[in-house]
Amino acid sequence: MAGPPNTDDRKVTSLGELPQSIEPPHDLWPRIQAQLGDIRAAADGATPAQRRALRMRWLAAAAMVACVATGVWIGRSLLSGMPGSGTAPATASHGSSIPGVAPTALDAAYVSDPRYQQQRAELVRALQARLARLPPPERDKVTASLQAIEKAKADLEQALGHDPSNALLQELLVNTYQDEMRVLTDVHEASDPGRGI
Amino acid sequence: MRIGLGLTGALLLLLGATAATAANDQIFDRQVPAQPRGVVEISNVSGNIEVSGWDRSEVGVHADLAGGVEGVEVSSEGGHTSIKVRTPAFSGHGGARLQVKIPKDSELDVSAVNADISTSGVLGVQRLSAVSGKISAEIAGADTELKTVSGSVQVKGHGQPARLRASTVSGDVHLEHGGGDIEAGTVNGSLIASLDGVRSVRAHTTSGEVRVEGTLARGATVEASSVSGNLTVRVGADGGYAYEVSSFSGNISDCFNASPEHTKYGPGSRLEGTRGDGAGRIRLKTMSGNVQLCDRQ
Amino acid sequence: MPQAQAEDTRVDWEGALVQRARTGDRRAFERLYREHAGRVYGLCLRMTRDAQLAEDCTQDTFINAWRALGKFETRSSLSTWLHRIAVNVSLAKRRKSGRVEPPPEEEEGQAGEWTLETPVEVHEIESAIGELPEGARDALVLHALYGYSHIEAAHMLGIAEGTCKAQLHRARKLLRERLGVEVN
Repeated sequence: MAGPPNTDDRKVTSLGELPQSIEPPHDLWPRIQAQLGDIRAAADGATPAQRRALRMRWLAAAAMVACVATGVWIGRSLLSGMPGSGTAPATASHGSSIPGVAPTALDAAYVSDPRYQQQRAELVRALQARLARLPPPERDKVTASLQAIEKAKADLEQALGHDPSNALLQELLVNTYQDEMRVLTDVHEASDPGRGI
Repeated sequence: MRIGLGLTGALLLLLGATAATAANDQIFDRQVPAQPRGVVEISNVSGNIEVSGWDRSEVGVHADLAGGVEGVEVSSEGGHTSIKVRTPAFSGHGGARLQVKIPKDSELDVSAVNADISTSGVLGVQRLSAVSGKISAEIAGADTELKTVSGSVQVKGHGQPARLRASTVSGDVHLEHGGGDIEAGTVNGSLIASLDGVRSVRAHTTSGEVRVEGTLARGATVEASSVSGNLTVRVGADGGYAYEVSSFSGNISDCFNASPEHTKYGPGSRLEGTRGDGAGRIRLKTMSGNVQLCDRQ
Repeated sequence: MPQAQAEDTRVDWEGALVQRARTGDRRAFERLYREHAGRVYGLCLRMTRDAQLAEDCTQDTFINAWRALGKFETRSSLSTWLHRIAVNVSLAKRRKSGRVEPPPEEEEGQAGEWTLETPVEVHEIESAIGELPEGARDALVLHALYGYSHIEAAHMLGIAEGTCKAQLHRARKLLRERLGVEVN
């Protein structure tokens, strides 16, 4: 799309009547938020002692063996198929959906963005530990949601493999990636030690 | 502890604030002065938070504290009132049941972990966020943002033109008498909204269902999408609406006796048309969900 | 509530959020994002003419704003400050792509309210604005749509006031031709 949406057929008599505010088609906050954390961490004024205390709290949680084991299992089953996981995905989430099939326009536009990839990779790396911090019922629900997202991505990519230029599927896939980013950042924020979990 | 509190209290008084803490008490009660349009922030890790609006320029806090709660801190300075329940991390025990009354035009910011949040009679901006708690809010015309990870979101509006954003990862979203501009999302929960002269709706789910019913303002827009969930829209709009429904492999049905067109060279069907003057716009998109679009009788 | 009082209340409210955001409160910053995202995206979209670039521009604007919060004076307009950042981001992206347009000759254009002799549909006007050369479009968007003065627009774009006025004159002429109506 070039320019503001081409659907407004109101008539105006001055340029000042044109809308100043146009809502972005996607919610950009999850991506912005993911980068704010890095910037603030770099500028963090916490003393080494405070940082150590925080790490100890993390380690205390991680020492709950059953949770860690569950977290590892969840992490592995969710991480397979995710970029940045180090495992070869059955259906790649970026680049070719299916071997031998040309990448979709989506890849170039959104998923291949290096900044997005980096943010996502960092959140995915931290996901295992973050999930382990949540109470078990919540962890199970969030895991189910992440699995629903993975399935949706796989289904969409498979469909795109047969119809790569399908605009509907491309749009739904972008939405799904955004949902995934939202969930990853929500879980990240929810399991922040500062929240008292 | 009490000497420390006394010094802290003296220091805060010098800054014009009022502070109170309770440690190991079963019941906590405190009232502090507050500006009619000030900011009230509440945080509680575990338990319950009920907030209601009143006509006084005060914030009243009543808490029932279970064992393990370290205390409740209440401070008020320069139009900003803060209520924090202190609980040791990883305790797995304890919790506080908070009942808070605030000036009804306050801006309210609530953060909970494993605590339900409910609000009523608050007319100002509300930002309510929980990890696993359920959020139940009554909203007026101010901006509202409700976010929970695994809990559900229930919103009761009065058809006033608010800007509402409601999201949950795993829970459901239920909205009654929504007006204004609404954005709602859930991954695998259901999203059910009844609308009262709404201006715009963006509803999104991955595998849950979306059901939207009610009335749209003239020129309103409704966009709903899912990957595999069903979409059901039954609305009436002043001036009618233009509609565009797309599904890759699901069924499209409507109440207008229109026939979806099937894509010539592959799966996919599409339904487009106009009701009335076509002043509004409805766009429904899904990969494999079923879609139904009808006029509201 | 009277207009001036409402404005004061708004500045206070935003000032409080900025103060909180400065201490690292991301939720306060999110409130500011929600409040201003539309105006920032609107400006980015009209300057870049590409939805994806406009989203990048919006994202970069808020990230840069987060970094620079310490420099923002809470008594001034946050919206204007964000727009300044957005303009810089858009221009930087343009410079990166190597697109540089020679400035027009400086000339005194007529002042005006940018009113149209006969009503025109919004999408037609947006389309016409989109087809303007970049420099003319930038000046027009900042001055006529977002209400910045010649000096403010010139400062944001990093050009002389005279150049800005010349760009506006050029924009007026081209819009007149494109829309077929008098632009006063």
